[in-house]
Amino acid sequence: MGPLEGLAYGFTVALTPTNLLACFLGVLVGTIVGVLPGIGPVGAMALLLPSTFALHPATALIMLAGIYYGAMYGGSTTSILVNVPGEAGSIVTLLDGYQLTRKGRAGAALCVAAVGSFIAGTIGVVGIMLAAAWLADLAIKFGPPEYFAIALGGLLLLSRLSGGSVLHSFVMVAVGLALGTVGMDTVTALRRFTFGSVALSQGVDLVPVIMGLYGVAEVLLLAEQGIAKAVIVSVRLRELLPTRDEWRRSWAPIGRGSVIGFVTGLIPGPAAVLSTFIAYNIEKKVSRTPERFGHGAIEGVAAPESANNAATAGAMVPLLSLGIPFSPATAILLGALVIHGLQPGPLMIVQRPEVFWGFVASMYIGNLLLLILNLPLVGLFVSVLRLPQHVLATLVLLLCLVGAFSLSNSYLDLWILVIFGVFGYALRKLSVDASPLVVALVLGPMMEKTLRQALFITQGSLADLVMRPLTLAILAIPALALLVPPLLRLRRSARTAAAPVAEPR
Amino acid sequence: MLERVVGLAVIVAAGIYLWLAAALPYGTTARPGAGFFPTLVGIFGCMVGLTMSARAFRAPARAPVVPATTADVAAQRRALSTVAVLVGFCLLMPWIGYPLVAFAFVTVLLQRLGSAWRTAALIGAVTAVVSFYAFGVLLDVPLPRGPW
Repeated sequence: MGPLEGLAYGFTVALTPTNLLACFLGVLVGTIVGVLPGIGPVGAMALLLPSTFALHPATALIMLAGIYYGAMYGGSTTSILVNVPGEAGSIVTLLDGYQLTRKGRAGAALCVAAVGSFIAGTIGVVGIMLAAAWLADLAIKFGPPEYFAIALGGLLLLSRLSGGSVLHSFVMVAVGLALGTVGMDTVTALRRFTFGSVALSQGVDLVPVIMGLYGVAEVLLLAEQGIAKAVIVSVRLRELLPTRDEWRRSWAPIGRGSVIGFVTGLIPGPAAVLSTFIAYNIEKKVSRTPERFGHGAIEGVAAPESANNAATAGAMVPLLSLGIPFSPATAILLGALVIHGLQPGPLMIVQRPEVFWGFVASMYIGNLLLLILNLPLVGLFVSVLRLPQHVLATLVLLLCLVGAFSLSNSYLDLWILVIFGVFGYALRKLSVDASPLVVALVLGPMMEKTLRQALFITQGSLADLVMRPLTLAILAIPALALLVPPLLRLRRSARTAAAPVAEPR
Repeated sequence: MLERVVGLAVIVAAGIYLWLAAALPYGTTARPGAGFFPTLVGIFGCMVGLTMSARAFRAPARAPVVPATTADVAAQRRALSTVAVLVGFCLLMPWIGYPLVAFAFVTVLLQRLGSAWRTAALIGAVTAVVSFYAFGVLLDVPLPRGPW
């Protein structure tokens, strides 16, 4: 099936009433979650995952992904109007977005953000169609050594890019991999690290871990603030239209932001956040009037808001074509598919076209729905912010508890939720990113399986495993990313040591 | 100081994990057993912990932490009481059932975070009834009803 034929087929799947409703619900929840600071899309996706068990896998994927990219639309609203980022992906938007609000151009900023997100989302979906199909063709040639190399390389790159110290990220990777080994060994059926518990022999479920790290931990941070209410600026509908000059300034940043976002999304790492910083800095560099940035430049809203949306689309590519998630959000999507007995990867596109193409088509529809939802109804969404934070925090916690229990009706999941909630809260306090833990927990079992198969193929020779041309190429990228910065630092410090004359600061 | 404690904690945790992994059949490199991958993970964890500790102990000790203000203490207390209420929920749900534990959870937490008792109890009662009906009855989650 070619891309156009596939897409046409996808629309017949995505436009069924059930899938349309799932898409609408997903983007609606996503927008609300995006608007609300403190509650992120990952926590919301984990919370709603159990409710998708009874749905068709395509419907489940459509709804959960809707939350993910919907949150990127909603996040900008809070950044622009309240000067608080609704989502981590909207931190940069705040710099110029709120300044525009202060100048009375909030409506224009919201409109450019929404239109930019729509264009970027659409470009992103075209990117998925082309890249995923191409990568899937390539991935059919991959054997266990290549898959092991991709997972290992992805984890290394993620550790390098997730911000903060690489060592801290490595600790997270170790914890995630260790958690992934708990339960029944898939090859020998031996129980490992279960301490005699029957519930643990099923392994540590991803969902309560994510709910804890991203739901409970965020609520604990909200709880710290106690009763707090946001000051909200109201926007009238007729103020929503940007001037001709504002449009003119926005088109190129939207285009550049979309491309930067999509490419960043392909790389393991906090793509939605990272892409916004890259896009903003590039706009500032190419601008003839960089001094306007930070004082209400519309380009400073257009570029990052387009980038974060395209990044969510880019992040889908490794999941759909290789079956490998590189972020907590795509890890949940993988979880949703695996529960239905589907293994995303090169074969899924061929064997289950309704899931792949239905999902791709739903993203076009979702982006259109978001544009309609976010512009005229922006006032309605902002009113969600009037809900007292502590009431919201309490209700979200109760939902997390019921959600974790409903996974397998086990009290063990409740405890896992609470333990990882407290752990996640401590990590936030120490400014350590938890995403390497989540990704390692998902990739761990796959890495173990492929490593054992690969060693079996190479008769136990590690050199044969690494020296295959494809594995070597795959591992070279993270190796360079890890080794080059410290080497450069060494060279720089050697130079400063050689030239003892202190430079004036 | 914190970095040193974390580094040592990582070494201890990875050490225990490695010790448990050593009890599993390792197999050979050509035919890896159930303990092969955990051993690698344990060694990786130990190496990370050792590097962290070595760096932390080599670096000069940083200035003492600034004492927490009253606002900080109040914020920490709110987070701690939230954790306590969460743990209470997990401990009590099997014994007193979901409706009562949900009521108590919402009421106590809202009060701790700043609501008046009466408002908290009202929201607690409504939430307990609505959530029990939505999840326990409509969505068939077997939430425990308690001894009554």
